[in-house]
Amino acid sequence: MTLKEKHEAKKEDKRFKDTTSHIKLTPGDIVFNILNYLFFSLFTLSCIFPFYYIFINTISSNDLVRKGAITFIPHELTISNYIAMSNVNDLWNSFFITILRTVLGTVLMVFASALAGYLMTKQEMWHRKFWYRFLVITMYFNAGLIPTYLNLSMLGLTNTFLVYIIPAIVSPYNIILVKTYVESIPGEIEESAFIDGAGYWTIFYKIIWPLSKPILATIAIFGAVGHWNSFQDSLIYNSNSPELYTLQHRLYVYLNQSSNLSAMMNGATSSSDSTALASALNTKVIQYTISMITIIPIMLVYPFMQRYFEKGIMLGAVKG
Amino acid sequence: MADFATPRSGDVQIRKKDIDTRSPREKAADKFYWVIRIFTIVNVIMLFFPVFNPAKITDQINKNLSLFTCGVSYSSLVSNLKRSFQRGWVPESAFKLLNVSCLIIVLAVVVLIVGGCMSLGNRKLKKAGSLTACIGAVIELCSLFGIYRSYVMLQDSERIEKVDPYFPTMFWVYIVIAAAVLILSIAVIFTLPPAEKGTPYEMQPKFRLFLMMLPILVLAFVFCYLPLFGWRYAFFDYKSGETLSMDKFVGFKWFTSLFQNAATKKDIVRVIKNTLAMSGLGILTSWVPMVFAIFLAEIRNTHFRRVVQTFTTIPNFISWVLVYAIALAIFSTDGFVNTFLTAIGHTTTTNYLLSSSHMWLKMLAWGTWKGLGWSAIIYIASITGIDQQLYEAATVDGAGRFQKMWYITVPELIPTYMVLLLMSIANILSNGMDQYLVFSNAVNKDYIEVLDLYVYNLGIGSGLIPMSTVIGMIKSVISVILLFSANGISKLIRGESIV
Repeated sequence: MTLKEKHEAKKEDKRFKDTTSHIKLTPGDIVFNILNYLFFSLFTLSCIFPFYYIFINTISSNDLVRKGAITFIPHELTISNYIAMSNVNDLWNSFFITILRTVLGTVLMVFASALAGYLMTKQEMWHRKFWYRFLVITMYFNAGLIPTYLNLSMLGLTNTFLVYIIPAIVSPYNIILVKTYVESIPGEIEESAFIDGAGYWTIFYKIIWPLSKPILATIAIFGAVGHWNSFQDSLIYNSNSPELYTLQHRLYVYLNQSSNLSAMMNGATSSSDSTALASALNTKVIQYTISMITIIPIMLVYPFMQRYFEKGIMLGAVKG
Repeated sequence: MADFATPRSGDVQIRKKDIDTRSPREKAADKFYWVIRIFTIVNVIMLFFPVFNPAKITDQINKNLSLFTCGVSYSSLVSNLKRSFQRGWVPESAFKLLNVSCLIIVLAVVVLIVGGCMSLGNRKLKKAGSLTACIGAVIELCSLFGIYRSYVMLQDSERIEKVDPYFPTMFWVYIVIAAAVLILSIAVIFTLPPAEKGTPYEMQPKFRLFLMMLPILVLAFVFCYLPLFGWRYAFFDYKSGETLSMDKFVGFKWFTSLFQNAATKKDIVRVIKNTLAMSGLGILTSWVPMVFAIFLAEIRNTHFRRVVQTFTTIPNFISWVLVYAIALAIFSTDGFVNTFLTAIGHTTTTNYLLSSSHMWLKMLAWGTWKGLGWSAIIYIASITGIDQQLYEAATVDGAGRFQKMWYITVPELIPTYMVLLLMSIANILSNGMDQYLVFSNAVNKDYIEVLDLYVYNLGIGSGLIPMSTVIGMIKSVISVILLFSANGISKLIRGESIV
């Protein structure tokens, strides 16, 4: 956080305090405050508790989980589930695919957005206005799921890794964000570099790129989260190539398998089929552990990235 | 920025020279160049379309392969030919030659592209560009000869009836294009007057900038505009994997069957009802984030507020699959709720996810759980921006907490709210499919299937490509109309556009 931002934050807090601090608390206020705190505590709890619940179930002994004994506190801590999971090759494969697409996809998207955003501020480009509209207009229409699928399959991109990356490189929304940002950089900086003989590429690398880092970081984080969470493209375009499934898609497959199992069990009245029961409960632990593996990366980066997320939504508000 | 846009003095001179001193010969050369560029673009497009594949010299080659795929992937080129190779019906070398020829054609087209780009420069660069295009065309012709050689090799194979080679018409199209480019670029070389001695290779800034932008524009064209070409499937009787031909043209059959076929009509009505219900509920509760923000602002403890804000935004950053995993962990037969109820004495367990009651409300609840904290951020930021003097003045006048909320905070937030409301009305038909796909099962299918999910189930699940294209088309058109109406309304009321 820069000094200025810190200052702003302080001011913000002070404002909040000022509105209420010099009012004497009436009984009504106290009731209001209690209810208010209660509501926000409960809602916040509802947002964290599921994650906590899944987590304690993955680190507790399997027998207790099977009996349904783990509700609030973990018992007989073990990491055997995670060790067992590390032997599942499918999962490693999906993990690797997801990391690769997140890194590659984000880097290419950010580079393309930065370059396009910079170039779109250049009035002297050949038919700049037309090309700008050409890009921006794509935000407002969509050919639809099937034509898009047929297009990608015609280009030979279905059932390949590239389908995760290439179609996502150009993002008009991010281009607009970068363009707006670059326009706010004083033109004199660029001009003096130009006089010193720098070309467009040099200016882009040495001036625009470093100066737009805040906005690039924001779009990079949103892009990375999008790639990490992406599941539709794997489901639609790569459904015939299990070796290319993303982590989310893999999780979806596992979840569906076990829900089918439990649906079967709901239908069957006899509880004697203990093997089916055992396997269903095992899938429950598998499910929880994979969910945790999928969530943990997001949770790890989240605290560091939170202010970028918030900045991101504000940027979106500036340019609707 | 505007000042900076003036080009360097040297560039101005170049531009003036262009206008004033372009000789008739140079003008003619420029005309030739336009033709070369168009041929090059056509050639590039043809590389990626299976219909224009000149390398399809036998039916044994997959008909969905484009020239580009034939060049870069030998394994897909010969995917249907393994048996023929094993039995020795055809020489494998013929296909190796074919593969290499295709690859060289791809490279030749790259050379043509480079030549075309160079043609935007000054006279010296143009000369070099036409020479490059010339070389590219020669390479292309040579590799086309390679395709011809592999055709001849197939003809000479022992069991010719097993591979049934034929000569593709597209081969001649490629020959014509390459020959035309060759002739025209030679013509350019001779018509273009030589550059003055000592001039460097240069290009006007406007074209330099355009060429830097070009790859991004091409990507946008390929992935955003090209799919629109797929709308043609709506007018054909098409099944997955077939090739389109005019005898399968059915006109508006699929559009009318949408309203005539009783079963389809019933489906559509049901799906539209679900879509409008879910979006409608979303719109009806769209004020909730605003209220959330207003009440959060009433909390004085900064740390508590930070914690609430941090944790309530987390669900927004996990995928719907994970939300479903959480739903399973909490509400399924062996989930949290059931184990908890069992622990306090209940004997029956229910799988809450396997019931179809109140599906719309449940979906709304999940959507709210995931998005509430995140949507509130924008309002929280607006509240911090409100002038504190307003509140102080109101306090002096004796306004209570709720009066201040209603008369000061809410009016300040309404403009933001209106924008978001209009956007959500414009998106009334597109509620995405992730959420509904992950939560759908055999029991609740009738209440959860929204338009996007229906298109997916119809097109990918059942393979009814024309029908789902028709529905997607209608949806896209209505969405665009809605968006621009919402924009018009916004302009009318607030004098600002939202798109």
